[in-house]
Amino acid sequence: MRRRLPPVRLAFVLLLAVAASSTAGPRPQPPPPGDATVPGAAPLQPRPGERPAEPPIEVPFEPGAETHDLGPPALTTDAGPLFPLRRIVSRLGGTLSGEDGSVVLALGGTRVIAGPGNPVAIVGREIVELSQAPFADDREGLLVPVDLLRASYGELLDFSFDWSLEAGRLTARRGLAATLPVVVEVVHLQGVTTVVLRFPERFDYELVERREAVEVRPRRDRFQPPIPIPRVADPLVEDVRVAEDRVRIELAPETRAESYVLERPFRLVFDVVRAERSRSVAEEVPGIEPGRPHQGLRTIVIDPGHGGGESGAVGPTGETEKDLTLELARVLRARLAERLPVRVVLTRDEDASLPLDTRSAIANQNKAELFISIHLNSSLGARARGAETYFLSMEASDARAAEVAAAENRGAAELDDPLYDLQLILWDLAQSHHLSASQRVAALIQEELNTTLGLRDRGVKQAPFRVLMGAAMPAVLVELGFLSNPEEEERLKDPAYRSELVEALVRAIGRYRSEVDERAARATAQGGPGGAAEPTP
Amino acid sequence: MSRRAAAAIVLGAVALAAVLALLWFLGREPGAGGPEGPGEQEEGGRLVTFELYFPGEGGYLYPEQRELAAPADPRGRARAIVLAVLDGPTTSGLHAPFPQGVGLFDLYLAADGTAYVDLGDEERPDPPSGGSLAEMMMVYSLVDSLAFNLPEVERVSLLWNGLQRESFSGHLDTSAPLLPAEDLLAEAARRRPKAGG
Repeated sequence: MRRRLPPVRLAFVLLLAVAASSTAGPRPQPPPPGDATVPGAAPLQPRPGERPAEPPIEVPFEPGAETHDLGPPALTTDAGPLFPLRRIVSRLGGTLSGEDGSVVLALGGTRVIAGPGNPVAIVGREIVELSQAPFADDREGLLVPVDLLRASYGELLDFSFDWSLEAGRLTARRGLAATLPVVVEVVHLQGVTTVVLRFPERFDYELVERREAVEVRPRRDRFQPPIPIPRVADPLVEDVRVAEDRVRIELAPETRAESYVLERPFRLVFDVVRAERSRSVAEEVPGIEPGRPHQGLRTIVIDPGHGGGESGAVGPTGETEKDLTLELARVLRARLAERLPVRVVLTRDEDASLPLDTRSAIANQNKAELFISIHLNSSLGARARGAETYFLSMEASDARAAEVAAAENRGAAELDDPLYDLQLILWDLAQSHHLSASQRVAALIQEELNTTLGLRDRGVKQAPFRVLMGAAMPAVLVELGFLSNPEEEERLKDPAYRSELVEALVRAIGRYRSEVDERAARATAQGGPGGAAEPTP
Repeated sequence: MSRRAAAAIVLGAVALAAVLALLWFLGREPGAGGPEGPGEQEEGGRLVTFELYFPGEGGYLYPEQRELAAPADPRGRARAIVLAVLDGPTTSGLHAPFPQGVGLFDLYLAADGTAYVDLGDEERPDPPSGGSLAEMMMVYSLVDSLAFNLPEVERVSLLWNGLQRESFSGHLDTSAPLLPAEDLLAEAARRRPKAGG
């Protein structure tokens, strides 16, 4: 039976573990969070001379109750039998990866970390004392005691283990009811809210659809609610509640949900739309003409920062960034429509949360030639003031290289996922081709803000901002002032002041558009390709 | 009763009280399950001077020399640095980058130079919100303090309540490890060799 240790006793156990390992060679370090919990993490590479990592294996869980013969132990010590973990995973399911003999076993959303010579293991966030330390076998990999299996498969997935000394074999039986961890994702994109319920395995369920809610009820298993419980701030979905016996998606009035299933991993997906909605997004957004070639600067996507449950910066009197950026974006859209022959699309036109990747995806879907994310700043001190404009820094983050490497190392399973494909397409590092144009736009915006408003010049800067990474066009993030500064908050609350800010943005965009047009005209005159030529700074 | 017998009874009582106190201490579970907060760093280890970075005037990170009781192992040193950054600066004019209540769940140093830092706050399911400057100061106070003090740390991957977020406050990409940003350090702190080793 697994023993959970109080922290102070745990310290003693750890001290003992350290003492034991100091006599038995170097103590293995648990590997970092694996790909199951840290999707963007760089894959681990063995250093020269080190034992290469065990090849990862991933085995899907089979639903239902059944008995598995796990075979004889690979080694028996005075403290009991030890079984190859790879054999266990290949028969019961799970994802195994590792480094230097230590392994990460992903069971659903929970990590189990164990290493040779280490008499404790990590299950989730708990440290578990084992009856004996695992052993690294050159041929069979990590050998583990049964109590590690009980602490992991038993506690997390309701397996029971029976070690028969007479038969010399270990058997596992899965209980009638499995506990299924549920991951909930809610995304709102152009009038459609998609709720994704992700499960570690396929299971038998019943779908109960009512006007006010949709429920998923497991027929035999039970759900394990996510921690933390997701907060839903969405115009079409009021809440997603996860209990042991059901997931309940509470719909806003006058909406309806359509469901479908995605496999590997098993997901139930619900698209929630307004009940009267029947036309396609392209039909609803004025000006979208699919397939039409772009010439010059024709489409601009404006992104009001934050929204929904994410308020962004909050001023001393409680003014929120999400509300002010939406106001600014709406006015900017109207002014641009008046002054320039461009189509302007907002990433959000309501108080709704929107993932950062979705914002740039909207710009890509609309084939925009310019993406501007509008924000208001905050600092830890109250005195900071002024505007600053950012374009993407690719050097400050290992994110993308790691993401691609991790993607390449994932199995073919995710390649079937349309969202995964979209991510890869968006990733395409297209933004790197537009960095010089982004820098030019940022400079023009900053210049207009400085000269017109006499704002303190905080300058054009670069940062690894997520919202700029997926944009396949020149993209900037503009901070129009410090909401944390009491004086600037007061000014930002004034519609007249906001109008001045918008005017500065309109002038900067107009100048940029002229430069783009001139460039395109020159290219056409020289017989080169037309299209959205980008000026260089 | 002789004086010797009385002294023996007193000594026995004192010993019994000490044993009971020790048993109570070993059996309690202070803050079970919660993150390790500032000021909870382990006692022991030799004192090592680190240069920590805290937000200050002009949107820069300013150095502060701090003597911390740190174990010899890099992970222990990294933990000491993170807890000290969470604790905030002692220099007036500098700011604590994280709100009160944010603690350290776990920290792991991978062989490839990535430090995985799992922060959290049981009262706060999501990372602190704020503007981009506040977010950069928050994130890079940790990234720079770790990377510029420990030769074992080249980049830092931040998690919140065990989860890797696309961004902490809606700007910086925290979905993958971040390299240190020397350009965010105040001029006087730039291009310094790694300290505390």
